[in-house]
Amino acid sequence: MEESGSILCDLGALDSLSDDEIQEILNIYAQFCAATEALLNDTGNLSLRSEFVAHVQSLCKHGLESLVLNHFLRALEENFETNGAMEFWGHFDAYQNIALLNTCNQPHSDEEVREVLCKALEEVSLKKKCQEEFLSILVHVLQSYKYDVMEKGRQYDAETEVVRVFAKYQLLVSSVLMATLPRHFPDLLHWYFKGKLEELSVVMAGELNGDYESQCKDDMDLDGKGRISSKSGQRDFHESYQLEKFSNIHQLVKNIGKVVLDLRSLGFTSMAEDAYASAIFSLLKAKVDYLAGDDYRSSVLEPIKEWIRAVPLHFLHSLLAYLGNSADNSSPLLSLKSSLAPHASSFNSGVDTPEGLIRWQSRLEYFAYETLQDLRIAKLFEIIVDYPDSSPAIEDLKQCLEYTGQHSKLVESFISALRYRLLTAGASTNDILHQYVSTIKALRTIDSAGVFLEAVGEPIREYLRGRKDTIKCIVTMLTDGTGGNSNVSGNTGASLLEELNRDEDGQENVGLDDDFHTDDKQAWMNASRWEPDPVEADPLKGGRTRRKVDILGMLVSIIGSKDQLVNEYRVMLAEKLLNKSDYDIDSEIRTLELLKIHFGESSMQKCEIMLNDLIDSKRTNSNIKATIKVPSQTVDLKESTISMNDFDATILSSNFWPPIQDENLNLPASVDHLLTDYAQRFHEIKTPRKLQWKRNLGTVKLELQFEDREVQFTVAPVHAVIIMQFQHQKSWSAKSLAAAIGLPVDVLSRRINFWVNKGILTESRAADSTDHVYVLIENMIDTSKNVSNNGNNEDLMVGEDEGEGSVASVEDQIRKEMTIYEKFILGMLTNFGSMALDRIHNTLKMFCVADPSYDKSIQQLQSFLSGLVSEEKLELRDGMYLLKK
Amino acid sequence: MSISRYWLTRSGDESKNFEWHAVASWTWNAQDETCGICRMAFDGCCPDCKLPGDDCPLIWGACNHAFHLHCILKWVNAQTSQAHCPMCRREWQFKG
Repeated sequence: MEESGSILCDLGALDSLSDDEIQEILNIYAQFCAATEALLNDTGNLSLRSEFVAHVQSLCKHGLESLVLNHFLRALEENFETNGAMEFWGHFDAYQNIALLNTCNQPHSDEEVREVLCKALEEVSLKKKCQEEFLSILVHVLQSYKYDVMEKGRQYDAETEVVRVFAKYQLLVSSVLMATLPRHFPDLLHWYFKGKLEELSVVMAGELNGDYESQCKDDMDLDGKGRISSKSGQRDFHESYQLEKFSNIHQLVKNIGKVVLDLRSLGFTSMAEDAYASAIFSLLKAKVDYLAGDDYRSSVLEPIKEWIRAVPLHFLHSLLAYLGNSADNSSPLLSLKSSLAPHASSFNSGVDTPEGLIRWQSRLEYFAYETLQDLRIAKLFEIIVDYPDSSPAIEDLKQCLEYTGQHSKLVESFISALRYRLLTAGASTNDILHQYVSTIKALRTIDSAGVFLEAVGEPIREYLRGRKDTIKCIVTMLTDGTGGNSNVSGNTGASLLEELNRDEDGQENVGLDDDFHTDDKQAWMNASRWEPDPVEADPLKGGRTRRKVDILGMLVSIIGSKDQLVNEYRVMLAEKLLNKSDYDIDSEIRTLELLKIHFGESSMQKCEIMLNDLIDSKRTNSNIKATIKVPSQTVDLKESTISMNDFDATILSSNFWPPIQDENLNLPASVDHLLTDYAQRFHEIKTPRKLQWKRNLGTVKLELQFEDREVQFTVAPVHAVIIMQFQHQKSWSAKSLAAAIGLPVDVLSRRINFWVNKGILTESRAADSTDHVYVLIENMIDTSKNVSNNGNNEDLMVGEDEGEGSVASVEDQIRKEMTIYEKFILGMLTNFGSMALDRIHNTLKMFCVADPSYDKSIQQLQSFLSGLVSEEKLELRDGMYLLKK
Repeated sequence: MSISRYWLTRSGDESKNFEWHAVASWTWNAQDETCGICRMAFDGCCPDCKLPGDDCPLIWGACNHAFHLHCILKWVNAQTSQAHCPMCRREWQFKG
């Protein structure tokens, strides 16, 4: 375009030219072309240069500078393309599938590739330098000519002209290279930088062990110069091997810097930068992956940051310093060569001010945060599974999230993990609850406001509400530190009760700390950690107690109401207390005290009375046994008699216990006698109070002695009574045995299964087909099936295999309470025909206000109604209940 | 088969091999269910008490009406002149 411009200007002059002159110009031009050709192809011949200069000068005289320049540039381009670029790329042809080499073991050694790259770069740079030299000769000639012409006229800006020409050349070189760029070259670069960086990080990792580490950290805060000086200072007091290492690093950085510089001069600034940036990032990612791993027991954020500071930043610092220095040393044109890289200039200027470095640092750190966060979020489920151990990982995640703010990512990924892995039919309620509690605790660390916790917890709560044994499991978790249920997986150690205790302890410690630690820093930390209490918070309670109420509160919110939980606890407590053969209730008292703190004293009143009964019983029991009159023992001294010494009793305040299943039972005469004596004595001591025996309750410890073995059992009275009948009669028919014990036959056959299962009795059909015969197995050898049972039966508890306790379950209680309303409901439906569930519920609430007032939930009503449906009293059609016709 | 007593153990140690731990509930054995004053169960305790039994005993009047001790004492003390049984309006006298 410029060419055409200059031609236009010369058009007038063209007419005035004579043929000779034209001929001369053509001659000179042809000579010039030849000279150019020769010059470019054959270096080092000085005579060629002077010839070339002469031709240029003569052409200039004819006003053909621009033509000369353009031709020369084109010649340079062609020459560079054929010689420089082709050769340059030719070096890399062997590594076309370099991308694949990253994964598998490379057939070419690292060194080889690196050497080839360095050599190629060097060659092409040399070529370029040579061409630049020629260009500068030409420009110089043109300049001097122009200077002569312009002298008389206006000022001529030589400087910008030179810069323009060189920029043009630079562009030319870049475009030639870019146009012929093989596809694998960026990969090759990336791979090269990665290899170099790895090498560097290995060298530096060795250095990290020394005290250099701390120094390095400090250095980063200083500017580049300060750093270098401190480095040189360090050299003095470090040992020779440190020095060697340092020079190693220096050498490495210099090598890399040279490559970068060469690339930059070829116009590959941004490509080089991309390459080493991506190399750094992939190295960082690998490092994060390596450090983070699957171990959540230690915090990795700090080591990662340290590593960033120690390796990539150190490298970048040195690199930028090196580039900056050589940029200063070489031509001032370099800054203009970076036209392909818009932010390269900031790096050049970043040598003195660490601005570029700081940008790099925050870029790297953000990347590290994000990588770690993604890693941790993907594994959050596992992290939470072993929560108390994995709290460092949670702490890391918290910091990452503070930085990146991608909380929603966490919520989404975690909820889907929960749905997929936890909220399935295969997971036991206990496990879900444990995970829920751990989740609450872990997420509370990350997000103290509880917003995300709310989002994450909702699916779990929703799911748990659909499970029947949720309340039971929660209560078990609350009360049982060791996990009495055998089907509970191993992690019950972290039971809620322990958690409550820990909270308690922690609280006391915090309280102490507050008293003793009054330094300003602590106070400030406390103040900055302050958060407003929730709106519904009870101002009477201290803010600190809320921390643990939180978890319980969230568990209670699954169930619906505190009362339900307390009620379930009472039933379980009753079961436990009734099965105690001693009066040791220390752990129960402890639990109760803790629960009292959480649920209030009044709601735990009944439970307290139950425990108190046990304490009173112990006292009364020893009192009675100490003061009872002897005659009972003298009555009969047969072998099977038991004395008062073998007898204990628990005395209940039955009004405060859950409804107790009563079952009539004929006790052996000797035992019955004891009971009577005991009750008599009680009446004497506590007039006018009387005892009413619950004959089917309690525990009996007995040892069965056979011909060849002795087996110990702890059983319910029913079982004891049954087996005692076999003492004198080896074989009983079911009917006669039932009559002797005073049980219905069907109950007996259910109970006696206990002994059949233990291999003590066998069951066989009697001649009369409606009856069964039970026979005692005297000799173990007769049956081989019970070998495994031998000896270790001591721990077998009452009623275990029957799945029915001595206390009516909560469901039974509710059903019993609901039967009162059956009449109301039937009456209602007779009047109204059919009614929907909530209408029945509301009507009951409206009309059943007096003794006993209707206080059941709609769910309880629903289950009661479905009971009535299955009893065929009602019918459910399209959500409406109606009387069965 | 036999069920051994503790003195029958062969090893001769004193560990008991037979223990019967029974369960019973106590009752005041009052004819009525609830206290005529506080309407709470006799086998429970009066509204002022937390623990039933010894801590909240029953008392019978000469008229054979029973009340929680605390309830009737409150009643008796509240009367200006001679107290009467809240149930039968007879003069209140503690039995025996």
